[in-house]
This record gives sequence, structure tokens and C-alpha cells, in this order.
Amino acid sequence: MNQFIGSRALPDLVYHRPGTMDDLLGLVKGIEGEYRVVAGCTDFIPAIRGGKWRFADGINVVDIRGVKALSGIREEKGEIVMGAATRLSDILVSPVIREKAPVLADAVSQMASPQVRNTATVGGNLCMASPAADTAPPLLVLDAKVAWRTADGEETTPLNKFFLGPGATVLPPRSVLTEIRFPAPGPDEAARRTRMGQRTAFVCSIISVAVWLRGGPEKIEAARIAMGAVAPTPILITAAESVLIGKKPNEATLAEAAKTAASNIAPIDDLRATADYRKSLAETLTRRLLAACVGDLA
Amino acid sequence: MKHDPKASHCQCGGKMSRRGFITALGVGAAGVAATGAMTARTATAKETPMIPSGEMARIDLTVNDRAHTLLVEPRWTLLHVLRESLGMTGTKAGCERGECGACTVLIDDIPRYACLTLAMEVQGRRIVTLEGLMEGEKLGPVQEAFLEEDAFQCGYCTPGQIVAAEGLLRADPNPSSETITRAMSGNLCRCGTYPHIHNAIQSAAGKRR
Amino acid sequence: MESREHRLISGRGQYADDLDFPGMAHLVFVGSPHAHARIVRLDVAEAEAVPGVIRVITGADVVEHTHPLPVQANFTSPGWTWRLAEVYAMPADKVRWHGEPVAAVVAEDERTARIAADKIQVEYDPLPVVAGAEDALKPNAPKLYDDWPDNKQVHLKFDFGDPDAAFKEADRVITVSNREGRVTGLPIEGRGCVGHYDRGKGTLTMWGAFQTPYLQRHNIAAAMGLPEARVSINAVDIGGAFGLKIHAWKENVVALASKLTGRYVKWFEPQRDFIVTGPHQRDVSWQGEVAVKNDGTLLGLRATVTHDLGVESTQKGIAALSIFPACSSPCNMYRWKGMHIEGIGAVTNKSFYCAYRGYGKDKGIKFIEAVINRVARELNMTPEAIRFKNFIQPDEFPFKAINNYVLDNGDYPGTLNRALEMVDVDKWRAEQEKGRAGGRHIGIGIVTSIEPAGVAVPNCQMGGLTQARVAICPDGTVEVDSDRTEIGQGSEISHVNIVSGILGCKKEDVYVRPVTSETIGQGPLSSRGAVWPASAVAKAAKQLRAKVDRFAASMFDATVDDIRIADGVIGCGKDTEKQLTFAEFANKAFFFPGPRRLPKEVLLEHEQLLSVTTTWYSPSTPESGSSYTTFCTSADIAVVEVDTETGVTKILKYAHVHDAGTVISKKVIDGQIHGGIVQGIGEALMEELKYDRNGQLLNTSFAEYLIPTAVEAPVIEIAHLVTPSPFSETGAKGMGEAPIIGSKAVILTAVEDALSPFGILVEDSPASPERVRAWVNGSKGDEQ
Repeated sequence: MNQFIGSRALPDLVYHRPGTMDDLLGLVKGIEGEYRVVAGCTDFIPAIRGGKWRFADGINVVDIRGVKALSGIREEKGEIVMGAATRLSDILVSPVIREKAPVLADAVSQMASPQVRNTATVGGNLCMASPAADTAPPLLVLDAKVAWRTADGEETTPLNKFFLGPGATVLPPRSVLTEIRFPAPGPDEAARRTRMGQRTAFVCSIISVAVWLRGGPEKIEAARIAMGAVAPTPILITAAESVLIGKKPNEATLAEAAKTAASNIAPIDDLRATADYRKSLAETLTRRLLAACVGDLA
Repeated sequence: MKHDPKASHCQCGGKMSRRGFITALGVGAAGVAATGAMTARTATAKETPMIPSGEMARIDLTVNDRAHTLLVEPRWTLLHVLRESLGMTGTKAGCERGECGACTVLIDDIPRYACLTLAMEVQGRRIVTLEGLMEGEKLGPVQEAFLEEDAFQCGYCTPGQIVAAEGLLRADPNPSSETITRAMSGNLCRCGTYPHIHNAIQSAAGKRR
Repeated sequence: MESREHRLISGRGQYADDLDFPGMAHLVFVGSPHAHARIVRLDVAEAEAVPGVIRVITGADVVEHTHPLPVQANFTSPGWTWRLAEVYAMPADKVRWHGEPVAAVVAEDERTARIAADKIQVEYDPLPVVAGAEDALKPNAPKLYDDWPDNKQVHLKFDFGDPDAAFKEADRVITVSNREGRVTGLPIEGRGCVGHYDRGKGTLTMWGAFQTPYLQRHNIAAAMGLPEARVSINAVDIGGAFGLKIHAWKENVVALASKLTGRYVKWFEPQRDFIVTGPHQRDVSWQGEVAVKNDGTLLGLRATVTHDLGVESTQKGIAALSIFPACSSPCNMYRWKGMHIEGIGAVTNKSFYCAYRGYGKDKGIKFIEAVINRVARELNMTPEAIRFKNFIQPDEFPFKAINNYVLDNGDYPGTLNRALEMVDVDKWRAEQEKGRAGGRHIGIGIVTSIEPAGVAVPNCQMGGLTQARVAICPDGTVEVDSDRTEIGQGSEISHVNIVSGILGCKKEDVYVRPVTSETIGQGPLSSRGAVWPASAVAKAAKQLRAKVDRFAASMFDATVDDIRIADGVIGCGKDTEKQLTFAEFANKAFFFPGPRRLPKEVLLEHEQLLSVTTTWYSPSTPESGSSYTTFCTSADIAVVEVDTETGVTKILKYAHVHDAGTVISKKVIDGQIHGGIVQGIGEALMEELKYDRNGQLLNTSFAEYLIPTAVEAPVIEIAHLVTPSPFSETGAKGMGEAPIIGSKAVILTAVEDALSPFGILVEDSPASPERVRAWVNGSKGDEQ
């Protein structure tokens, strides 16, 4: 039981700052005792201060910001590739993202505060596996994959399969998330996202929604809808896709898709919002985003 | 403001009271040994990317154009180092967890929260705090604008507000009204001085031009 | 010379957290995880074994070494309930709210104290929790204080005017109710101080975020059992207060820690402690009925307001005292025939209630403004029309209201008219009509208010204490002392303006000294700064000016009528030869030649020093008994748009007209207006402390208890009217709380207006997006 309600001291840390990928992977492979990989510390420090995380003295902190290869955004072979330690603010100003995936920049622009965005990373946001992780819904609708490495090899999985629950991912022990990649959207695709918080800025989302459509004003060929903060993990809601695919995107179709999406989530009541409100928002926001995407396609 | 390579090299921290005593390296190893600290290692050297628990590490950083060499514990935040090791209390502690903005500093010209920054991470970096915006005894242009526009009340969040504004203007010398509002959204002001802060930043943008 | 402004902006402010003394130890508190429990066992051994820990102080130590917290307000009247519980700065036996401190660790540094704090073992025997006022007042509810018959701390009953006659005359009686959530003022800087007990002299000196040093000295001395004369309380730069730093509570534990360890001991409160163990406010519900005539004439009100006070306030009686203005303020600025108001305060297992900007005035005015707007809608009148019909008129002042307030003056219709010039409400109403057809919901809110400022009531520590000293030093500089601490409300610059204006000295030559307990007074609370302390300062400056005139006349061999002073130069008539700077003048007066050359009468009357210490009292209070002295006037008009699908409210336009009498500093007033409005918007739309059924506070950080950011602050248009008050020395009226009173009321009334097609009454706040959405969902059918 937490007796002390004040701000907790950080434990004694063993601080590691490897400079290369090989050093990093070798270090993580051989490290003894408890360790944490950190990229921005914007979740690590508050979690300790608030008593959510408790570590014994001697916890190893592996700071991956020294590994240059883990940062940066590039386009290769029709895919956009982001290093896991790419800062959120770098996503915001990236010409590639702004041109090819403005939906991601839009999501990032509303995350936390400018100072946090100048520190936190996209990989950190995903690895923390918060149900409300705001980079997740746009990346999910962009069909992103994530890659991680261990000293022994590399694996890739769709982001959709990455999250296991609040704070839990499929990342195996002694691995490091390295990349997030997604296909560069084509001209017949449109993606939009939005979120709601209890205030406009500097706040955790009570729901975030992203939608993606391919097709034209006459027919939707493919669709994806993803949400955050409505389930134990950020999720793709595939149930609504069939409502849209092959249809003409009129008001009724979009409304039905939104309704289907909202009825396929199981949000909880918490301090920030009730389940009912989240469901209500899920429908409203999805419908509005779909309509906006249809507008973009036209 | 550019980094001056001839900037003075200070090894003794801001003042030798309780603040600044424990980690000042200047007097030599004796002062350090007296506090019970063990071997000092440097975080820069490629061969030692690890600082063991409970030991102090030597870091070099520039604060407000002044180079410092300090002994820090790996768990110390930049906020702790500024306030306690260097005795620079212009940067304020609010929430200690990245929720209020009072501790905003510039790290290589970029506004960040000192409470969410480990001291080890700023090895070799250039830090600017509110004190560093002064031009000698004169206020810098952003400070001047805050004074003229009465852009503070109790003054506690003010250092963070001014530094965040400075960071904004270094990145975007002609910010739109909307940009200013968004850029300042990470700095809470309970006195609600936001309208005056907004005016001050617009006016500061003009002064800096 | 460096001004406060220059000092703070250059990073040279010295706040509590910046204090540093030789050998200073650090103190942190350990709080209860339970809302209500008996302390079975408290084991500090492991904490004391942490290297660097100097001492652990437990509730048992506090009970052994200190006295119960002193009573600060106490009222008895036949038929009333007023109970006070005996409480210590920390309890030895029982905790009564989540977070209540049970122990404090004193260590060489803060980190060691924090680590050791985590090692204190406390075993609790949980007790049933009283989770809210309604539960607290049920028969057989678990009791918070064993020696009370129930949980009712306060029950006040007021008959203002003739309520029965008012209701008899009514064409209609409308039932009204309203509730507002629990909030906290939450300055960015927490509470904090350094204490030092000098064992040799038996003196206690403290420095820190003290909003009312003179009262805090009394209360700390009483709790510590020290002679008051040996205690000194010193305010340093204060990072916002809003009423939340008038405490003498944890400060006692800091003082005790110094007494027991012999060290300078510092405590600086992290934000989480500040919220969880902080002073809270609001959390009231109103039930009542209003009597009106069909032509819109307001006649009477019968209402009961029930407060969830949390536990007994650490400022004993001050929580309960705020029920008085809540009950009196519904009269606002209108003519009424009669009111019967009851104010109830229940104790619950929540953190305690104390002062926060508004202090009850906000509650009563917010309630009555909502009521009046509802009446207007029922009578098919505009909100402005019903107000024009009922305003007290400019030729009626001073106006003795039925609640016994003596309203100084103002131009109530003129204030609203000015606001209506700023916002074209007819245009917005047309826009509203047009929007509704397309599912767009615009709402227009109109609220007018007065702010009762400058409290003076009997049987408490708020009886109207103030003192000021203005002195010219031998070098010609001027020093000013008062009880008005600088909490960001501009007291220093205001006093500089007042003194330099009266004395004719240069502004930069005036130094307003940090406030200490050496100056008698209640400090800046209840918006009294511009009324009481500023009046005392002005009075002292005027008396000093008379001395300067007299001295100068003798130096120039002239009469006082010949003396002219401006911009730091003392002159005589038109004779440019006869001029003295303040420095030359003071040097003559004090040393060369000094008092021996002053007129004989001056010396015989012992008036030879250029220093005046004086006090001041509200001229309207002694005869009328009016609890407040000045009543500034505001009109707020807000236009909002509500997204009925998401529940989000957006502010499209905000205008505020203010009449605070003589303007001492326009920038200061504008800043106060912005700040109050932003805080009011927070209360109206987002701020609410949420406790669960077990008494756990759920939102305990800035990420969970949301206050407005720059993005939430609207563009605020301000206009000033100036009707100088006859009741203050400068003509200024207290105004610090006015903007929060009007703003939260106007936003909520605008939201109600926007939702009127749904038949929704906004009777609960904050009108958070979720709440608005639920109202829309629950409204009868769709839009009418």
C-alpha cells in the first residue's frame, strides 16, 4: 500500500548509453538484473515519481538515444520507415510524413505538450502499450509493421498483432524495437484521425479514432478503422470494414459503418470517461472522419 | 544566441553553499571524496558507456554559455543538477513529472522539461535557462516583452513560459497566433495570464527581428 | 533599482523552494491511504535506519509536543449549529481523509527523506467512509467526530427582508436547484517553508509561502505553545495563492521538526500532496424556489445550500465561515423583498475546505444568476431585460440591501449597457436561430454581478485588521510596509503607484518591503488588498505628505500651501531656487541640520520623524454592520457553441465590463480579470475533484485534475468603467474575485442557452463534454 503520496525519488540507476546497434544488442543480451530500455524517459520518470513503477536500486537503464541508426524517417521501396527512437517532434516536421502520411503528423501534433514531443519517441509510445497511445490508431490504419532486433536476429510483425494488453507487447525479452514501417499511401487513399480529451491540449485521450479509405466517390474499395482508449490495447476494428467495402460512400453507409464500429468496442469506465460516452464518441467521430475521408477522395 | 567557444569554464558551480557543494569538482578530488562519492567516470568515453549504480559520473555541459564539469549521479535529473549542483534556482520545480512546464529549459535550442531529462543525457549538450536569456544585467528581448506586457502574475511558471517562448522564437521567428497558442500549451499558468503571455510573444517576435 | 517584476523575470525570485540555509534538513510527509481508519500501529524503525534520516515525527509526537489547532472563527446564535472539532496538525489515533499526514521524515536531503518515507509502516483498521454531504447527513451515518451528535458542522438560517410577504405577492413561484463540483485553486507552486527554532533565544522564525503572516504567526504560535512575540513569520516570493496559502497547518510540523532537531528544516510540497491534502472548495448543492411577478420583478427567494466541507478545516472555522457569503450573496445587485436562506455544512471523509477565490460569494451569485436567467426564459424576457428591471439604480447609493450589505456605488445598468455595446447580442441571436436549423447550437450567456470585497466580520480572525507604514529614509528613498503580501495580484506595484502619487516621489525610489508578521493585518484575502491595506497605505502616505509639506515649509521659510511636490522634487511656489530632491530634503530633516532646525511645535508634538504608521477601518461597517466594504461591478457576456454530439463547448466570444472604482494599475486589473475568467472557465467546463465511494481521490496530478491551458483561454475583451468608491481611501474597489464569479456563471448560462431546444437545464457543473452529452442523450426526445 502506498503510504507516501508525495513525489518519489528515482532509484539508483545503472546508466547505459550504447553508441551502436551492435553495442546495444550485445548489452541487452548480456545484461544482468532488472533493466529498462528508455528512449525519452517521459513515461519512465513520471511512472516512478507517481509510484506506478517501483525499482530496486541498481536498475539498469539502457538509453538508446545514442544509437543513430534508431532515429530518422526515410522512404524506401514504397514504404515509409521510422526509427523507433525518432522523436515525435521529428515526425511533425518530417517532409516525408507531412506529404505522405499527414494523418500521423496530425495525431502527433496533439500529443502531450511541445516539450514532451521534443523528448518522447514513437517507439516509446508504442512500447509503453498504453490503450490510449496516440500514434497507434493512425499507424494501425496505415497498416504499419514493427520490427525488433535481438543479438540473434530480427523479426517483424503487423502493429495489429503487437499489443497484448495495457503495458504489454509481443516484444520478447532482450529485444529492442527498431523500426516502424508502413506502405506509402497512394493517391486513391485517404486517412484522417481525431481524438477527444477532457481538455483540448496537453491531455490524455479519452478516445482516439483513425480511419483510412481507398477508392473513390462511387465505391469504397478498402477501409480500416482503428481506435485508442476503447479496449485494453489500441485496436483495428475490422467488423466495420465489410459495411463499407464495395459500397457507395453515402451518408447512410457511413453512418452504419460508424455504428458498427462503435458496437464492436468494449471500453471501460475510468476517471476520464465512462464506457457509454466513449461508445457515443466512437460512433460520432468515426462517422465524421469517414465523411471527411470521402471528401478527400472526391 | 550563439555558443561562445571562449566561454568561461567554471568548475565550481554557482555558489558554495549547500547547493553546489556536493558535486563541485573544482577543488579537486578531495572535496569529492569527502562526500563519499566514489570513482568518477566520464560518460563520453566510448569505452565506458555505463555508469554503475551509486557512483558518480563526470559530465561536461554548457549552461548559459558557460562550460561546466560536474559529478552527477545517474539518477539525477537536469532539474536537480541546475538547482542543486549549480545553484541556479531560476528554473522552477512544479510537478516533477512533465505535467506543468515550470522547469522548461532549452537543450540545444529545443524546449524540454528539465524534470524529465536525466543529467547523463545532456553530456556535451548546450543548456539555456532563464538566467541565460539575460544580456548581462539587461533583460533579453523576450524577457523585456514579458515585462512590458505584464505577462506574469505570481511569477512561478514564468521562467518556463519565457524559455518556452524563446525556444519557439528560435525555431519560428514569425509565429502565427495559433502557433503561439499551441507552442505554449505545455506551460500551465494558474494565474491565467495567457492573454498577456500571448501578447508578449508577439511583441518579442518583433523585437528579435 | 531592481523592481519585483525585473527580479522575477530575470530568474532572481526567491520562492520557498529556493531557500537555502546552512545545515538545512528536509521534511516530507507520509499520508494515509485510507479515507477513514484507526491507526493501529505506526512503525518508523526502518525509516529511521536509513542513513541520512535525522528524525521521524509521528502524530503521537505532534500530540505530545503541540496544541490543537486554534479556532479562527466561531459563531453561536439561537437555532444555529456551529461545531468545531479538536484537531492537531497530525493525528495520533485516527485518519479522516485519503492523504491525511500521519508522519513526517526529516533527513539531510529531500531524496533521503522521500526514500525513508516509503519505509514507514502503518497498520490501519479501516472505518466506514462518509463519501459525500448527502450520505453524511443521513440518520445513522458513520460519524467523523465521536463527540458530535452527527456530521452536521454548520447550519445557518437567515431571514433577509420579509420573505413571506415576497412570496405572498408573487405571480409565480419557480422551483430551482443547482450543484457544483469540488475544485481546488491549485497554484503551480505548492505550499512550502523553512522553519528555524533558536533554542538559545526560544524564538521561532519561518520563511515561506505565507499569504497572511500576521495571522499565521498567531496560529502557529498557538499550536506550538510559543509566546507569539517570539515567533516571526516572513513571506518570500509566493507562487500563487488564491486563498490556498493562508494555512498554519503542516507548517506546525515543520516548526516542531526544527524545535526537535535544532536544524533549519525545509518542506516544499509536491503538487500531488497539494491536491490530495489541499484546501478544496465548492461542492455545494442548492434547492429552492424563487418568487417573481409576471412583469419580471424579482421578489423573494427561499433556498438551502448544502456544502460538502470535507473534514474539519485545518483553519478551524474558516471553512464554515465561507457559508455566510454563500447565503448572503444571492441578493447580488437587485432589489428584493425578502429571502430565507439556510446554509448547511456537512463533514465528510474528504480533504478539508478552505479559502479559494470566490469563498462562497461565487456560489450565491452563480446560483442566483442561473435562477434569474431561468425566470427570464419562463417569462419570455431577455436576460438583459429582466436585469434592467431589477437593478438597484445609480441614484440609490449607498444602498442598504436586505442582506445588510451597504452597497457603496456603481452604475449597474451602465455596466450591462457597456457590455451590450461590445457584443451585438441581437446579431448572435439571429445567428443562433439560423444555426439551430442546421443543427448548430450557439448559446448566449449574460450575467451581471457585484463582488462583496474587504471582509470585516466579528468573532473570527477576519474582523478588519490592517496596518501600514510609509517612511522616508535619511537618503530620501521611501519604504512601505503593509499586511498585503504579494501573491501575484500586484500589491507591490499598486502600493508604489499609490505612494508615489501621494508623496510626489519617484516610483523607483519606493521600496515595498516583503510582508512579515511585524505588520498587523489579515493579509490579502476576500479581495481586500485594494480596499483595506491600500487604504491604510494611502492614509499613511497622506499623513506623511502633510509632514513633508510642513517640514519643507519650514526649510523654505514658507507656508505649507506653497509646497509643490512632483517627480521627486520638492519645490516652493514658483521659486525655482527653492527646490530640494527627496534625498536633499531627507538629509536636512534627519541629519544636516537635522531635527534641531525643525519647528518647535514639531519637536514638542514628537512628530519629528518622517515615518507614519497607521491603520484603517471601513467607514460603512461600524454603523451598518456591513460585512463587506466595496462592491465592484461586472457584466459578462459569453457566446458559446456546443457540439451536442460530442458535448464539447467552444467559446466564440467573451466580453467583460468592469467597474472597480479608481484604477490604481490597469495592467494589474486586466491581469486579474484574465486570470479570474480563465479559472472560472476551468470550473465551468473541466475542473472537478472526483472521490470514489471509498473516499479515494482519483485525480491527483496536473494530468488528471485539469486546469485550462493557453489553448483553453479565449480572447477576452475588456472595458472599464470608473465609479470611485466613497468607502475606500483611494476610491478603488476590491476586484480579485469578481472575474471568477461572473465567468463560471456566464459560461454555464450560455451552455444552457445553447441547449434550450433540448429543454435542458444546466443544473450541474462542470459542464464537461461527457456531462453535456449525457444531458442531450437524456433530454426528452430530440430537439423541440
